[in-house]
Amino acid sequence: MEKQVGFMKALKCRECAREYPLAATHVCEFDFGPLEVVYDYARIGSSITREKIMSRPQTMWRYRELLPIANEPTVGFQVGYTPLVKATRLAKKLGLRELWIKNDTVNYPTLSFKDRVVSVALSRARELGFTTVACASTGNLANSVAANAASAGLKSYVFIPADLEQGKVINSLVYGANVIGIRGHYDEVNRLCAEIAGKFGWAFVNVNMRPYYAEGSKSMGFEIMEQLGWQIPQHTVVCMASGSLLTKIHKSYQEFSKLGLVKDASYKVHGAQATGCSPISTAQKAGLDFFKPVKPDTIAKSLAIGTPADGFYALKVMKETGAASDDVTDDEIREGIRLLAECEGIFAETAGGVTVGVAKKLVASGKIPANESVVLCITGHGLKTLDAVVGHVGRPREIRPSLREFEALLDAEAKSPIVS
Amino acid sequence: MAAKTKKTTSTKPAKDITQKTRLWLMYPAKQITHPVIWELSQKFKVITNVRQASVTDEIGVVCLELVGPRSEITSAIKWLEKKGVKVEPVEINVLES
Repeated sequence: MEKQVGFMKALKCRECAREYPLAATHVCEFDFGPLEVVYDYARIGSSITREKIMSRPQTMWRYRELLPIANEPTVGFQVGYTPLVKATRLAKKLGLRELWIKNDTVNYPTLSFKDRVVSVALSRARELGFTTVACASTGNLANSVAANAASAGLKSYVFIPADLEQGKVINSLVYGANVIGIRGHYDEVNRLCAEIAGKFGWAFVNVNMRPYYAEGSKSMGFEIMEQLGWQIPQHTVVCMASGSLLTKIHKSYQEFSKLGLVKDASYKVHGAQATGCSPISTAQKAGLDFFKPVKPDTIAKSLAIGTPADGFYALKVMKETGAASDDVTDDEIREGIRLLAECEGIFAETAGGVTVGVAKKLVASGKIPANESVVLCITGHGLKTLDAVVGHVGRPREIRPSLREFEALLDAEAKSPIVS
Repeated sequence: MAAKTKKTTSTKPAKDITQKTRLWLMYPAKQITHPVIWELSQKFKVITNVRQASVTDEIGVVCLELVGPRSEITSAIKWLEKKGVKVEPVEINVLES
């Protein structure tokens, strides 16, 4: 038994606190509350030190005592420890003294933070004896499950809506995953996938493996603190789809603090959404503890969840930490993408544009004071959402192969600079 | 060239076995005063079991367990959706980005 438990204690219902064994299960049988992994912090405290962490390879697994696997990881050895970039030029633009970008656009292997959660879910799935893994996804998650399963030699099934854009489908097919397109509207696809997950004995990463899967997000927070010199940033801005990432960043700060790895300090984890799908930020701004479901209509497809499963908990975290949230329009999202690209050379997907756009608003409204430290969590690469910016980033100027023409172009532009 | 063989595709529906389905129902404001679950149990051969509920004057959220043949559960869900009720699996966002 010890072999399969590691530093974990049990799964625990977030609503009624009932405990369950550390199996592939995800909801409480009594109130259907989500289950979460609880750890033996006393044992972790006597095992983990800053020095021990720093002596390990630079991947997310250097914090393995605080990740829900019992043994050494078997999937995604290279995932994580992405750069924390000091964003001096963007800071100036936004009117901040100290700004950092946690750059998961270069997370390995599929250029999004999903590799963190997937590698944890698949490593745990292996420990529990699964040989087939699955997910239901419209993008980043599908790509990550397909790639990580391929490299680990696991069989994978990826369920997608049948009308998904070809580019996104290819990004899963190429890894040899069994990609199944389901015809139907969102809710039908969602329900069928839940049924499939319940019926077949597979490790469905975001269903029966969800308690383990979600914990992988904490690694982003652990890395931020270590890369800042073992400190909690005063402000962290996180985009919200289900709201899970925000709650896990908060959990990571609390865990490091509890273990004495960082000094206890006050911090705020702010949430960012797109105006076309903002159930959580709308509720937060209205001071409500609950949100009203919405029908998404935004270019930020990776955040388009109208009924966020962790929305209630994200609202709670923002309230507890005194944080704020806001939302941005499609145009503001594109502007956010451009700002980040032009100032820092980082091309983010639409979700990143949401985070930058909301950070700008929170600074302008004084909710993030100009002289405090801020980290923006950028979760996926811009190459994944090229469609969203096509036609909005200018066009190349064309000339014939003539030096004279090039010089004429430079002269003309010097006289009347192009403002795109 | 090989002779074309007639493809035999099975169109048989999945076995109509009894199953338990757990759903979150979200009622629009106009349905809050209606006895939707009672009506459902009259129309379809399913056992209904309310496991959680929160109803305000703006929105009703009910966690409902349905036990019955798959075809009856599927029809019941379609009927609910026609009434404007949002029907989600208990896991909520299975389909992620």
